[in-house]
Amino acid sequence: MAKTVRRSSPLTWLADPLQPTEATGAAFRFTGDMRWWLVPVLIGAALLVVSLVGWAVDPRQFYFSYLVGWVFCVSLALGALYFVVIQHLTKARWSVVVRRIPEALTWAFPILALLAIPILIGMHDLFHWTHHELIDPESPAYDPVLAGKAPYLNVPFFIGRLVFYFAVWTLVAYRLYTRSIRQDVTGDPEIPALQRKTSAWGLALMAVTTAFASYDLLMSLDPHWFSTIFGVYFFGGAFLAAFAFITLSAILLQRGGMLGRTVTAEHYHDLGKFMFGFTVFWAYIAFSQYMLIWYGNLPEETVWYRHRLEHGWEAHSAVLLFGHFVIPFWALISRTAKRIPALMAFMSVWVLVLHWFDYHWIAMPVLHPEQAGFHWLDFTCWLGLFALTFGLCFYRLSRHSLVPERDPYLARSIEFVNA
Amino acid sequence: MSTATTAKTVAHAGDGYHDDPPLVAGNLSFHEVTEMVAVHTEKKTPLAWYGAFSLANIGLMILLLSVAYLFWNGVGVWGLNNPVGWGYAIVNFVFWVGIGHAGTLISAILYLFRQQWRTAINRSAEAMTLFAVICALLFPTIHVGRVWAIYWTLPIPNQMEMWPQFKSPLLWDVFAVSVYFTVSLVFWYVGLIPDLATLRDRTPATKKLRQKVLAFFSLGWSGANRHWRNYEKAYLLLAALATPLVLSVHSVVSFDFAVSIIPGWHTTIFPPYFVAGAIFSGFGMVMTLMVIARKVYNMENIITINHLEKMNIIILLTGTMVGFAYITEFFIAWYSGVPYEQYAFINRATGPYAWAYWIMMSCNLLFPQFFWIKKLRRNVAFMFVVSIFVNIGMWFERFVIVVTSLHRDYLPSSWDYYVPTVVDVATFIGSFGLFFTLFLIFLRFVPMVAIAEVKMVMPQADPHFYEHGGDGHGAAHEVKAGKHTGKA
Repeated sequence: MAKTVRRSSPLTWLADPLQPTEATGAAFRFTGDMRWWLVPVLIGAALLVVSLVGWAVDPRQFYFSYLVGWVFCVSLALGALYFVVIQHLTKARWSVVVRRIPEALTWAFPILALLAIPILIGMHDLFHWTHHELIDPESPAYDPVLAGKAPYLNVPFFIGRLVFYFAVWTLVAYRLYTRSIRQDVTGDPEIPALQRKTSAWGLALMAVTTAFASYDLLMSLDPHWFSTIFGVYFFGGAFLAAFAFITLSAILLQRGGMLGRTVTAEHYHDLGKFMFGFTVFWAYIAFSQYMLIWYGNLPEETVWYRHRLEHGWEAHSAVLLFGHFVIPFWALISRTAKRIPALMAFMSVWVLVLHWFDYHWIAMPVLHPEQAGFHWLDFTCWLGLFALTFGLCFYRLSRHSLVPERDPYLARSIEFVNA
Repeated sequence: MSTATTAKTVAHAGDGYHDDPPLVAGNLSFHEVTEMVAVHTEKKTPLAWYGAFSLANIGLMILLLSVAYLFWNGVGVWGLNNPVGWGYAIVNFVFWVGIGHAGTLISAILYLFRQQWRTAINRSAEAMTLFAVICALLFPTIHVGRVWAIYWTLPIPNQMEMWPQFKSPLLWDVFAVSVYFTVSLVFWYVGLIPDLATLRDRTPATKKLRQKVLAFFSLGWSGANRHWRNYEKAYLLLAALATPLVLSVHSVVSFDFAVSIIPGWHTTIFPPYFVAGAIFSGFGMVMTLMVIARKVYNMENIITINHLEKMNIIILLTGTMVGFAYITEFFIAWYSGVPYEQYAFINRATGPYAWAYWIMMSCNLLFPQFFWIKKLRRNVAFMFVVSIFVNIGMWFERFVIVVTSLHRDYLPSSWDYYVPTVVDVATFIGSFGLFFTLFLIFLRFVPMVAIAEVKMVMPQADPHFYEHGGDGHGAAHEVKAGKHTGKA
C-alpha cells in the first residue's frame, strides 16, 4: 500500500488537493456511486446558470441574492473549520468518527474564493460606500460619516482583506485536511501534535478574520450602522449551521449504507447537544444585540432594527425569533429527540434553512427597505451555491476514507457512550 | 509494510490511551486519596492556619469598620463626584462577581464537556464562587445612599402599592446575583453530600458533636445504588441549569453599563466579553489559590501540574478573547464615526487615566500570551505571578470601563477626575479579608477536593481495571509507569 499521499493535478486541486487514497477498512469507505456528488454539482451548476438569466434582468437583485447564498456557504465552511480546530485543541475523542465530514467541507474555500468574483463585479451595486460622490466634499451627495470610514471601506483594501481572509482559511484548512488524510495512509504518530499546533494559531487568526469578514461582507451593506457584537453573531450562526451540516451528512451516509456502525446514537446525541447549545448561544447574542440597541435607542443604531421591523420585515423578524430559537430550543431539548436520526435530520435541514433566512434578513432590507419578501433569485443563487458546495464536499469524501481511520482516538470514539 | 503489521499498527494506534497522563499521580489507592484529603479537616488545627486566619480577620475588621463608618456618615465619605457616580463599589462588585464565575465554569460547564480534570479543583473553585459572590453582594448593598430601604428593590406587596422598575438592569442584578448565589450554594452542597458522609463515617465515636453535625449535613447518605443514580441525574441537571445561569448573570452585570447611552459603555459586545473576562479573572484567582493550597496541603498528586497547565490554557484562551474584544471595541469606535465614541477610546489610551488603561492592557493582553510557551505553562512560580497579574489587570479593566467612561462624556462642562478616598480603599481591602476568612474556614472544615469525584476518575474505578493481573498488581504496575489509564 502507498506510504504517502500524492497531490492532485493543478486542475483538480481546487476540488480536492489530494489524489484518492486507499482505505484499510471497507466499513470506512464511500461505497455509493458518483451520482452522490455529481447530481448536486450538476443541479448547482444548472441553478447558477438560471441565476445568470436573473443577472441579465435584474443585476442588483442578483448580486444581493448571490451574496447571501455565497456568505451562507462561506459560513458553513468556516463553521466546519472551527469544529475541526476545536476538536483538535480539546483533544476530543467522541467526535473522531464524524470529523472527516467537516474536514472535507473546509476545502470549499478555494472554490468559494473563485465564486467571489461576481460579488467583486457587483460591488458598486452591493456596497453603498463604493460610490465616489459620497466621499467627495465637492459633491452634493457628500456624506461625512462615510468619508470618515473611507480609510477602511475602500475597494482596494476591501479586496486585499478578502484575499487575506481566504488565504488564512485555506491555509488552515489545507494543513488540517491534508494531514488528516496523510494520517490515514502513513499513521504518522506526530500528526495529532502537529494538528494541535496549527489549530492553536489557526483559531486565533480565524477569530479575527471571521469577525472582520462579517463586518466587510454583511455589516458594511448598511455602512452607517455598527455593532461590536456583530462578529460573534456571525460566528454563532455559522458554528450552529456546521453542526447541522455534519449531522445531516452523517445521516445521509448511513442511510446510503455507509459508515457502518461507527456513528451511533451517542454521536448524534452529542451533535444534538451542540446544536441545542449553539441555538441558545445564537439567541443569546441576537437578543443582546437587539436589547441593547432597543434600550439605548440611539438613532444611528436603532435605524437598522427599524428597517427590519416595518414594511413586512417584522414578520421576518418574528419568523427568525421563533424559527431560529423557540422551535429548535423545544425540539432539541429532550434526550430522546437527539437520539432519533430522522428527527435530527429534519432539525438539521431546519437549522440550515433558518441560517440562510438569518443572512437574508440581515442583507435584504438594505435592498428592499419598503417591501419585504423573497425574489426567485434568492432561492436559485442560494440553492445553486449550496448544492455545489455540498456536491464537492461529497466528491472529496468519495476519494478518501469517511473517517480518520488511523486517528489514535478512533477506537474510543466508536465505543463512546454518553454517560 | 505487510498487511499483518499494518493491521497491528492500526490496532495499536487505535487504542488511543498512550498519551493521557493520569489524572491522579503517584499511584494512589482509593484509601490514600481519602486519607490525603480528609486528614486536613480532622487533624489538630495547624498554627499557620491560625496565623492566616488572624490576618484575614484583620481584613474583615477593616471591612466592618469602614462599612460602619460609611453607614454613619453617608456615601459622601467615598471619593465619588457628580459625573463619576460609580467608583470603587461597582468596580469591586463586578470584579468579585467575575471571580465567582470560574467556580461555576469549572463545576458546571467543564462537567457538561466531560472534562474529568475538573474533579480535582471543582470543590475549592465552587467554594471560591460562593465567597466571591458574598463579597460581590456586599457592594450593591452598601453603595446605595439609604441602605435601610434596600428591600424596596424586591417585588414585595406593600401598603404603598409600589413595585420595583423591571426595566432597570440594577434590578435584574438583584435577581441574577441572588439566584446565582442560591444555585451555586445548592450545587456545591449537593456535591458535598457524599464527602460529608465520608467524614461522618471516619469520625471516631468519641467525637459526638462532630459526628452529629456531619450526620445532619450528609442527610443520611449511604452511597446506595439508588442514591447515586438520583445524585448523578440531579448533578447533571444542576450543571445544565447553572451553565446558562453563569452566562446570563455576568451578561446582566454587563447590561448595567451597556444599556446606558454613555460612550464607552453602550456597546453590544459587552455581554459575551464580560463573560469571557469573568472566566479569565476567575481562573486567575483559582490558580492563585490552588498553587498555594496544593503546596500547603500536600495535594500535588491530586492537583497535578497537568491540571495547572490546563487551567493556564483556559487563561490563555479567555485572555485572548478579552484582548480580541479590546481590539473590536477600538475598531468599531473608530468605524462608527461617532465623535463621542471615538473620543471615549482616545481618552482611555491617552487621557488622565491612561496609566490605568495601560496597566489593564499589559496585564490582560500581554502576560497571558506567555502561556503559548509550554515550559512557562508548566512553571508553577511563573503561573503564580501571571495569575496575580491577571487579577490586577481585570480589576483595572472594570475600573477603566466604569471610571474613564464616566469622568468625561458628552458635556465637557461636567468633566471631572475621580480620586478614591481611604474608605474606598479600605472597603476593597476589607473585602479580601471577608473572602479569605470564609475561604480559610472552608479549608479547615470541609474537604477541599471532591473525594468521591476524584475516585471516579481514578484508573481503579474502571470495571476492567483488575482484569489484567487479577489482584490488580499488573495493572497497578502500569499505572506507575504512567501508561495505563484504566481500560483493558
